Amino acid sequence: MKVLKKLYKQIFFLLLLLLFAGHSFSQSGSDLRINEVLMDNDSNYVDDFGQRSAWIEIFNTAYNNVNIAGMYLTDDPKNPTKYLIPKGDPVTVIPQRNYIVFFADNHTTRGILHLNFDMKNSNYVALYDVNGRTLIDEINLVRQIPDISYGRLNDGSEFWGKLDKTTPKASNYTGKIVTAGEEFVKMDPYGLGMAMIAMSVVFIALMLLYLVFKNTRRLYTLDLKNLFTKEKIMIDINENQDITGEVNAAISMALYLYRSELHDHEETVLTIKKVARTYSPWSSKIYGLRNPHR
Amino acid sequence: MENSGTYLTFIAEHLNQFFSYTSFANFTFGHLIMICVGLAFIYLAIAKEYEPLLLVPIGFGILVGNIAFTPGFQIGIYESGSVLNYLYFGVLQGVYPPLIFLGIGAMTDFSALISNPKLMLVGAAAQLGIFGAYAIALFLGFSPSEAGAIGIIGGADGPTAIFLASKLAPDLLGAIAISAYSYMALVPVIQPPVMRLLTTNKERLIRMKPPRAVSKTEKIMFPIIGLLLTAFIVPSGLSLLGMLFFGNLLKESTVTKRLADTAKGPLIDIVTIIIGLTVGASTQATTFLTAKSVGIFALGAASFVIATFGGVMFVKFLNLFLKEGNKMNPLIGNAGVSAVPDSARVSQIIGLQYDKTNHLLMHAMGPNVAGVIGSAVAAGILLGFLA
Repeated sequence: MKVLKKLYKQIFFLLLLLLFAGHSFSQSGSDLRINEVLMDNDSNYVDDFGQRSAWIEIFNTAYNNVNIAGMYLTDDPKNPTKYLIPKGDPVTVIPQRNYIVFFADNHTTRGILHLNFDMKNSNYVALYDVNGRTLIDEINLVRQIPDISYGRLNDGSEFWGKLDKTTPKASNYTGKIVTAGEEFVKMDPYGLGMAMIAMSVVFIALMLLYLVFKNTRRLYTLDLKNLFTKEKIMIDINENQDITGEVNAAISMALYLYRSELHDHEETVLTIKKVARTYSPWSSKIYGLRNPHR
Repeated sequence: MENSGTYLTFIAEHLNQFFSYTSFANFTFGHLIMICVGLAFIYLAIAKEYEPLLLVPIGFGILVGNIAFTPGFQIGIYESGSVLNYLYFGVLQGVYPPLIFLGIGAMTDFSALISNPKLMLVGAAAQLGIFGAYAIALFLGFSPSEAGAIGIIGGADGPTAIFLASKLAPDLLGAIAISAYSYMALVPVIQPPVMRLLTTNKERLIRMKPPRAVSKTEKIMFPIIGLLLTAFIVPSGLSLLGMLFFGNLLKESTVTKRLADTAKGPLIDIVTIIIGLTVGASTQATTFLTAKSVGIFALGAASFVIATFGGVMFVKFLNLFLKEGNKMNPLIGNAGVSAVPDSARVSQIIGLQYDKTNHLLMHAMGPNVAGVIGSAVAAGILLGFLA
């Protein structure tokens, strides 16, 4: 019984561990990140009006669309609500894992993607949530070399640096992308590692189920009050109450026959059952369409 | 006279144009081969009763998909905006397989597994076919994602195969699905020789203890604990595992009978019709008949053989540690490949051939349903590693 008690405790703590292990990710405005900034644009990205100006790229790290409308962009830490991103324009919806670029040209008449500041006198950019108080992301920059942008080395990652190429509305990582599968095969060209790891995981998953259900009857008949007390006498009440499937099948068959057999004694005896016809106005002849008007 | 000549030319031109739109003008040898395959499926389903619920829709779908046509009229399954393309969306995006799993969950009785949890390990061992086929596919030059998608055929689970192929190798989806369902139907042909080869006469006669009765509480606990344990380990298999266990809870709770009846009745029937027809139609000869498809069929057969080998040999291995009287009949090992309930039926039939009173069906159902869980877990692993 001591062993059993220990096992229950282990399972209990394992489940607790599983519950609190790791962390979850929400998918909302807080998933937006300032991804890349170009402060001095001499011969770089041109806006729809053929003009070059500083620009700020925002990246949606979530796997669903996020609408940036109603949020605020600013280059002044003391004025978080400097530029309200207007609502009602479809361009403010950023698709999953996608980008939006704002031009810091102080020309708001050119559309909602053109900000009311130009970053000539500021090295700071911040994105605030719709309440104007919750900071979503901010970055303090150093004055850059013209046409060299500063951004996250991988989209949405923690690490910032000078980027080899400016990549407005595109991934900041410009090297060769190797898929997880290709990387795996480089290390495991014959698939043996995959077979061993994957089979182990399948076994662990089903082994856990096996361990739980090996003890399941004891688990659900467990007296929790006595589990953590010193004096305890556990009686396995079910130990001698096993009923085999064959006995169950016989009982079920007997019950089935008892319920479904309509005969009183045997097949040669006629049983008369009363059949009642229930009344419904839908079938009543007096409401028929062919009755003459009165 | 001149007018009538012009008129005849006009009619001839239009008749010619009409002919160019007919299937006869666009028909190729590939279409003929695929139509023959479709007819063979229908024959096997109706005459031999091999998985008729799957092979009839798929076989007819192959006929539908291989009626040749002029592209551009939104007819074919691969043409955006066509009706078949809309229906195929659920296959490509992996919508249908979880719905089928919901129904499977609602119609599966896990009692055999709960009463003898050792059988879960047999279900795990039979997943060897997946990773065996994966390794061979890599060796043959398939890309890692393609190899993963092909390997899952060895899970002998159509919805899982479609789900994983739609994520890892959508281009091969048709071939993988057809291969998976074909070999599932051919389980009674593929498995017996492997089972006989790997077992001795003495082993085939082993009698197993009758399964104990399983309480309602245990049955209710199973889907809940099963989901938590498996999905915590492989969250990428959540849509399949979640639906499977949810369906089972609907059944076992007994308070949601209407929902369970819908899931295991009309819902699964509707989805099976659509998935079968569209998967069949996706085998359009122009896109389907390639060397890769032939390779996938060969690998599919290999994966079933390896999976059967894994299951049977694992039971023999377990028997080394089990006391006399608790030993398991290795003939139930093949059922670990899932292919519910055909592979369990094979265990029963082969078992009866050697001892007319030794019924293995109930015992084989344990690894059989464990195989469903195992293949969903394996799919989650492949998705996590290769996507």
